[in-house]
Amino acid sequence: MEELIDTLTRGNPTEVKVVLASVALALAVYQLVLISVGYGKWRPPFLAARPAFQAHRAVGDTIAVVLIVVAVMCVSYFGLEDDAALHAVAATALLAVLALKILVLRRWHAMGRFLPALGISVWILLALTWFTSAGDFLAGS
Amino acid sequence: MAEQRSHTRQMIGSLLVALLIVVAAVAVVTAKFGPTSAAEQEAVEERLRLREERLEERQERREERLDQREEER
Repeated sequence: MEELIDTLTRGNPTEVKVVLASVALALAVYQLVLISVGYGKWRPPFLAARPAFQAHRAVGDTIAVVLIVVAVMCVSYFGLEDDAALHAVAATALLAVLALKILVLRRWHAMGRFLPALGISVWILLALTWFTSAGDFLAGS
Repeated sequence: MAEQRSHTRQMIGSLLVALLIVVAAVAVVTAKFGPTSAAEQEAVEERLRLREERLEERQERREERLDQREEER
């Protein structure tokens, strides 16, 4: 697996991971805008609630795929390091809450009222995971 | 029907904005890395190695020429 990641990233696994995580965070900020339009908190004349919800779902699916790729890269290439405990805890919680959110969206509709809270939790955990790894790396580069 | 078409257009527009955000994020983060990426560093190291080899070759040729001159004398 390590060799595959090395080959795919042409020897730059950290840089690729940082780029992917940063893309996920940037899209997550956009997700907040889309969902605020979806729930009618902001009503721009150029975007209705329904397409905002649909775009939010499509971008959310993309973010989930990117996060899974980053998580696989992280665990299989870098492993669990002692000095990155907060990052590991935040990332594990992020994936768990994200999985719960997808479950509520696709199957567990009765829990739909918790979606805003789950969405905000995903956003906060993603930001924390990014700051404790990619943010650190970018600050040092 | 017209509303449906407008919604499709809005949805495509929203996804295009997302695409622009992806491009911007990749550009900003990649620019921040600068020449610290492994590929770039390898290229720099390769250039340095070639320069050192050329210098060594030139030095050897010079020494050979000096030896030849001394032998001729």
